[in-house]
Amino acid sequence: MSQKYKYKPEPALVEGDHDFGSITKLISDIPQQATPKWWYIAFGISNMVLALLLGVVTYLIVQGTGVWGLNKAAGWGWAIVNFVWWVGIGHAGTLISAILFLFRQGWRTAINRFAEAMTIFAVMCAGIFPAIHVGRIWVVYWMFPIPNSMQLWPQFFSPLLWDVFAVGTYFTVSLLFWYVGLVPDFATMRDKVKGKWAKFTYGLFSLGWTGGNRQWQNYEKSYMILAGLAAPLVLSVHTIVSFDFAVSIIPGWHTTIFPPYFVAGAVFSGFAMVMTLMLIARKLYGLQDIMTVNHIEKMNIIILVTGSMVGFAYIMEFFIAWYGGVEYEKFAFINRATGPYAWAYWIMTLCNVISPQFFWVKKFRRSVVMSFILSIVVNIGMWFERFVITVTSLAQDYIPGAWAYYTPTLIDVLTFVGTFGLFFTFFLLFLRFMPMVAMAEIKGVMPQANPAFYENDKMADLAKGPGEQQTGKER
Amino acid sequence: MSKKQNIYGLLAEYKNPAELMNAASKVAEAGYQKYDAYSPFPIHGMDQAMKLKESKLGWIVLIHGIFGLLGGLGLQVLTQSVLYAHNIAGKPFLNLPAFIPVTFELTVLLSAFGAFFGMFYLNNLPKLNKSLFNSDNFAKATDDGFFICIESEDDLFSEGETEKLLLDAGALNIEKIEP
Amino acid sequence: MSNENQRTYWKSLNELAQNEEFVKASEREFPKEASELKDGLSRRNFIQIMGASVALAGLASCRKPVQKILPLRQQPEHMVPGNPLYYATSMPFKDSVYGLIVETREGRPIKIEGNPEHPSTLGSTNVFQQAATLELYDRDRSRHILQGDQQASREEFEAFCAEQFADTDQRIAFISEDSSSPTYLRLKQAVLDRFPNAEWVNHEPFSDENRLLGNEKAFGQKLRTYHHFDQAKVILSLDEDFMQLSDNDVENVKRFSEARRVKSTEDDMNRLYSVESAFTLTGSNADHRLRVKAAQIPLFLNALAARLSESVDGLEAYRNHTNEFSQHAWISVLAEELLNNRGESIVAAGMDHDSDVHATVAAINLALGNAGTTIAYLELPHVEAGDQNQRFAEVTRRLGAGEFQSVVIMGTNPVFTAPSDLNFAEALDAVPVSINLSNHVGETARLCDWHVNKTHFLEAWGDGYSYNGVRSIIQPMIQPLFGALSEVEFLNMVLNGEYTTGYDLVRETWQSFAPQDFEDTWATVLHDGLQEGTSFPAVSVSLANGFTEEAGQVLGQSTPVDEEALELVMKVDSRVYDGRFANNGWLQELPDSITKITWDNVAQISAATARRIGIPDERDFGDLDAHKIRITAGDQTVEIPAWVIPGQADNSITVTYGYGREGFGRVADGVGTDIYPLRTTENLLFHSDVQVERTGEQYAIASTQDHSSMEGRALVREASIEEYRDHPTFAPDMVYIPGEVDEKSISRYTLFDPQDYPENEPQWGMSIDLNTCIGCHACTIACQAENNIPVIGKREVHREREMHWIRVDRYFSGPDEANPQVLHQPVPCMHCELAPCEQVCPVAATTHSDDGLNQMTYNRCIGTRYCANNCPYKVRRFNFFNYTKEYLTTGEDPEVVQMAMNPDVTIRFRGVMEKCTYCVQRIQRGKIETKRETDLKKPADGTVKTACQQACPANAIDFGDLTDTDSQISQIKRNERSYLMLGELNTRPRTSYVAKLRNPNPDMA
Repeated sequence: MSQKYKYKPEPALVEGDHDFGSITKLISDIPQQATPKWWYIAFGISNMVLALLLGVVTYLIVQGTGVWGLNKAAGWGWAIVNFVWWVGIGHAGTLISAILFLFRQGWRTAINRFAEAMTIFAVMCAGIFPAIHVGRIWVVYWMFPIPNSMQLWPQFFSPLLWDVFAVGTYFTVSLLFWYVGLVPDFATMRDKVKGKWAKFTYGLFSLGWTGGNRQWQNYEKSYMILAGLAAPLVLSVHTIVSFDFAVSIIPGWHTTIFPPYFVAGAVFSGFAMVMTLMLIARKLYGLQDIMTVNHIEKMNIIILVTGSMVGFAYIMEFFIAWYGGVEYEKFAFINRATGPYAWAYWIMTLCNVISPQFFWVKKFRRSVVMSFILSIVVNIGMWFERFVITVTSLAQDYIPGAWAYYTPTLIDVLTFVGTFGLFFTFFLLFLRFMPMVAMAEIKGVMPQANPAFYENDKMADLAKGPGEQQTGKER
Repeated sequence: MSKKQNIYGLLAEYKNPAELMNAASKVAEAGYQKYDAYSPFPIHGMDQAMKLKESKLGWIVLIHGIFGLLGGLGLQVLTQSVLYAHNIAGKPFLNLPAFIPVTFELTVLLSAFGAFFGMFYLNNLPKLNKSLFNSDNFAKATDDGFFICIESEDDLFSEGETEKLLLDAGALNIEKIEP
Repeated sequence: MSNENQRTYWKSLNELAQNEEFVKASEREFPKEASELKDGLSRRNFIQIMGASVALAGLASCRKPVQKILPLRQQPEHMVPGNPLYYATSMPFKDSVYGLIVETREGRPIKIEGNPEHPSTLGSTNVFQQAATLELYDRDRSRHILQGDQQASREEFEAFCAEQFADTDQRIAFISEDSSSPTYLRLKQAVLDRFPNAEWVNHEPFSDENRLLGNEKAFGQKLRTYHHFDQAKVILSLDEDFMQLSDNDVENVKRFSEARRVKSTEDDMNRLYSVESAFTLTGSNADHRLRVKAAQIPLFLNALAARLSESVDGLEAYRNHTNEFSQHAWISVLAEELLNNRGESIVAAGMDHDSDVHATVAAINLALGNAGTTIAYLELPHVEAGDQNQRFAEVTRRLGAGEFQSVVIMGTNPVFTAPSDLNFAEALDAVPVSINLSNHVGETARLCDWHVNKTHFLEAWGDGYSYNGVRSIIQPMIQPLFGALSEVEFLNMVLNGEYTTGYDLVRETWQSFAPQDFEDTWATVLHDGLQEGTSFPAVSVSLANGFTEEAGQVLGQSTPVDEEALELVMKVDSRVYDGRFANNGWLQELPDSITKITWDNVAQISAATARRIGIPDERDFGDLDAHKIRITAGDQTVEIPAWVIPGQADNSITVTYGYGREGFGRVADGVGTDIYPLRTTENLLFHSDVQVERTGEQYAIASTQDHSSMEGRALVREASIEEYRDHPTFAPDMVYIPGEVDEKSISRYTLFDPQDYPENEPQWGMSIDLNTCIGCHACTIACQAENNIPVIGKREVHREREMHWIRVDRYFSGPDEANPQVLHQPVPCMHCELAPCEQVCPVAATTHSDDGLNQMTYNRCIGTRYCANNCPYKVRRFNFFNYTKEYLTTGEDPEVVQMAMNPDVTIRFRGVMEKCTYCVQRIQRGKIETKRETDLKKPADGTVKTACQQACPANAIDFGDLTDTDSQISQIKRNERSYLMLGELNTRPRTSYVAKLRNPNPDMA
């Protein structure tokens, strides 16, 4: 091993004695093994929570938006908070798969597959809320660009409409991107699985992929272009989501810092969520060799950076509120920290600004337990950030006589909880039936993948191992 | 040429990416056109080795992107400023700054469609069944095997010489693929 | 909230429809099958109803009088379906009537306005008058004559009367509400002639009796005090809420606000001093307000009288009298003010104070020469000799002693309102035959052998005198919905044992008012609603001999007040009055002007008192729970939530009557707390010393305003009149608005040139004069009536989802937290030209019209609520549930309340946003008529009035076309005090405000 490292100062992306075959086996065996018991339990629970979601949403549709804690001042509450939070979660997936790809960050390959999966499921959860939070759900399609009988079209000045397009595009592109990445691995599965139906299904989704270089050529081009498109897209999505607030006139919303601040926050929470899921997955499926401590550390660094950016934004908001000299603005921010919602504000600060600072310490960065705990803390904090922004600004805006305190109802809470049911139901299905790590890409970044690697015979011998014996068997 | 009816082509396996690439360049130099190098992952430099031309995908995407841009802008200008213009918050009917986000999103969306479907079109996928799949060994192409297949369709194809060429290039084994 | 509290208000209108308590009660009264409206409102009857109005159309337009039902299959004159018809009538309230104009649609009265010709309203209204239509369409009104629990027909009752009252010698007790109706009084006299042994007593729980008696003490005659507030430069109000809860409030406000209106720096304004224990609406508009315990007010008055006696004659009794107030700063200042303004001042005391106080007040006014100038003393034809409250107590005692064979109770509801120590219910038991006439099968009706259902004034013939004696007519707008009897028909039936139509009875009376050419006079009266040139004779008063002695004795008995004793002041409520309006959803949901509380009555206490009782003296933002307290007076106890309100006198608790009904109506039942148990013959309105303790219970309060400080923001802008004269443009100068400096530079502050409006279209704008606005909420309820705004119930209001399109924000200001100044600010939609709400709507459901309205398209709205979020003024209202549907379709007989709806206004469904439209339906009607008549697009100034503007008794709201530079509105907007609220946001509101002015006394500063 040690000699191998001589050639590669960077720590190996894949640890342990692995070659192409063993990687394939490691990943493609997971869907072929018997379903583990814990999976059934987890899936059962997720399904129950999903049923709960369906229940409360039905109740909401039957009764009306009044079942939520909204009032004359706070027209938006948990629903929008959850929407922004879930969309934010999604960002990590695209960031990892697109932006890190453009930056040639090989280590992304270990986690991009299910980070992207997470993105798609998170955006699904997010998408529910704008749809159900409207007063007349049955005509929500009027938000789509179709004329009504009076030739009336949607109103394109509205940030909400921008949202429809942004989130819609984001979901679609993420899905395509994800699928493109999956095709070669589906092919691998097709060639690995035994069962007739399994073979057929994987075969169907792999579209007859052979791995010929003429395919790879277009494939790589396409992947690169999609990455190039997804990168600005992911930045634009949370920018536009932040326009919902920034374009308005409400003190505490009407802030130019929102777009970068929201994107940073999104990446922040997204990485935290990926971390949470990854730590569970690598334990359950023994993928420590692929998702190494080095990966964890790299992600923690990003969490630390984005977390500090968010913290900076908090401070900047305050500064501008003071520097701008608008009394309403001033009040809005001082009120956040000292007013009736101060508790939320300080939870937010504690979780988002203070907690990531632990990662300055290498020991914590590389500690699985620490990473797990903090990743959850961060997501709690990010939820509260959205709560603070959405609710405090609305509850107490320009006219004190019209102020109204917002308190969520049980339905609010259950709806939020329910979305986790949706998320994990899909995520568990993904873990069960799909290659959860991009095998082709992992192989692509292994030292053996580089032809230059074989110029040294010694290395070649080292690299042979079981692969060689296998070909031998074929003879 | 009667051979061409009974085989699809010759499939040669190579040990590792390096040898595959070296073999591929030999085949290319020999002037073969209808052949391809199969690997579980894209190998850097293989395009040059095979003397492949640049992929046309970029153009497809560009055209889609332009459609998205014009379509997005047109949709908004037509509906909001022309067809059903009304006084919204005293703003001018043609309020371009407000049209930027949707225009951008639609450009990205259309381009993405171009990149996605364009790629499968160029790879003429989906095509669920291929002669290559008749070889059991070929299953390794998506795992850890490296292959070159020269198709009998190729003008230069003659079973003997082609096989020799592939063996000289260091093939571990050679297999006739049924059509 | 504890379950106990859950019970006290219904969760939704659905539940309201099945309000258990009421259902229980009503089922006890009449069996289910009996209580159905179907027969009441079948198609045929409806046509009859319409026919009736057709007949009236004839009357109102001076045609031959018809009193028969016309079938609609003949196209009736004047009646164009879809067009409103207006009739003049009057609303009787206690012993006066108020002149009204009623808008009817297809025979349904749907909206009430003041009668501009009528001095009692001068075209405006108060909340009670606005809510009268819903009163008419109250589903819980009694629908049948009842003998015990059994329904009876009118004929049966007729027969019963004929037989029961055949014996004219029998002793009958007549207990009646106050009434000024000449017909009623004529019949009353006839009754007393026919039954020599009959006893007639008026029971009006909150009559003006004390004032009348006071005047009797002072002038030797029971005289009505008629204030000319417009004539007065200085007004001293001692607990007197002449703006809201005393008789003739509308005229008072009109006159007061005229003297208050300041158009330029040249104008003067009057000065109002208020001395009171709890904030009244009047006190909230005072230039100087002193908070003292109600018990101290007589002392304060005596001290003032003593001081005045040094300078004027007629107050000898008070000379050299001293008490703890003699050295009070206010006394010298007030004395000086009043003396400097002799003949131009008014001293007035509230009806909660005893006759001695009013006697002193009368003497002071006489001494100051106000009598005959700012105050007229009027002789009433219908005044009863002696103290009515004592006489009522006496009659009740005799009832209990079984001295009467029968008792007839008309209009009034003594079982609910009589002093508890009289035990009226028991007394009633002792009478063999009891007959009751009332709108509801209420507390009294249930205990009587016979109950006759009483007509609403909008569905019966009647007449009456206004406060100052203008003889007015009451004509029906619709056939009695439930075939009831009016009080005159009823009384006549008792008298003659046979039915005569109210129409004939009233005409008979009026014959005597116009012996010659009666028909013409009659027609004119029906048309105008009043008889020209009638009024009560004003008496030139002089001190009664012996007054000085009496007053001297009274002074002798006056004892110092124990500061520490907890006093309890019991007032009528600003929404349900004495309880008579308790079943009116509009009024129940109307916020109180000071506390902003709906659906409840609370015990108002000061912060200091709260600390003394041991409950928190302030609330956290968002905490709408109140601590309940137990008030014990004598042997009676009530538990009621306590509400800390600034400006309340320490150690003084104020509660209001009229709540906590049972078996009265679906709306009223279980709402609030009944405090009548605390009312005794000795303490009708006041307990000097009560025990109070906290129960430890919490109780949810539905308040529409959670935060009372303006946070130093320039929302309501005010200055003293001197400051105004020094700096006329103080209001706009408070905030620098970019671009306002010169219009051309606006584009520098906006990224693009805003839309301009078509030349030929009017541009609507509104201005609200905060200087004359008194915060009475008449606008709110007028808007509710005009625009079909649903009643949503306590729980929804408690969740802060009230639907009122025009709210009145109330702020406390000033250095003294214990006794702050009050600011009232009505806030409708601002119809911003650069409306933030419009640009954020994803479906273009809210857009701008060519005449500058910010429109809501209900059909297009999908309910994202983004517009409401982005409205800086927070005037948008959202249908979180299907409020209107529940409001209009629940219960077994929704047709009744549906009749109250305005057909011009769309009903809003669940999930859509709504807001003030500037009464677009009125605007469109105005534009259409103008187009038809003049072929112009711009209605002439004043032809379009919004509902709030029309109702406002203070004329504080102006509305009109801004393109017409001479229009009222344009002139007001040019006023230097006119300013835009939050104008610095560059939303360009069309609704502007005129800054408030105060007229403080320099010596008081």
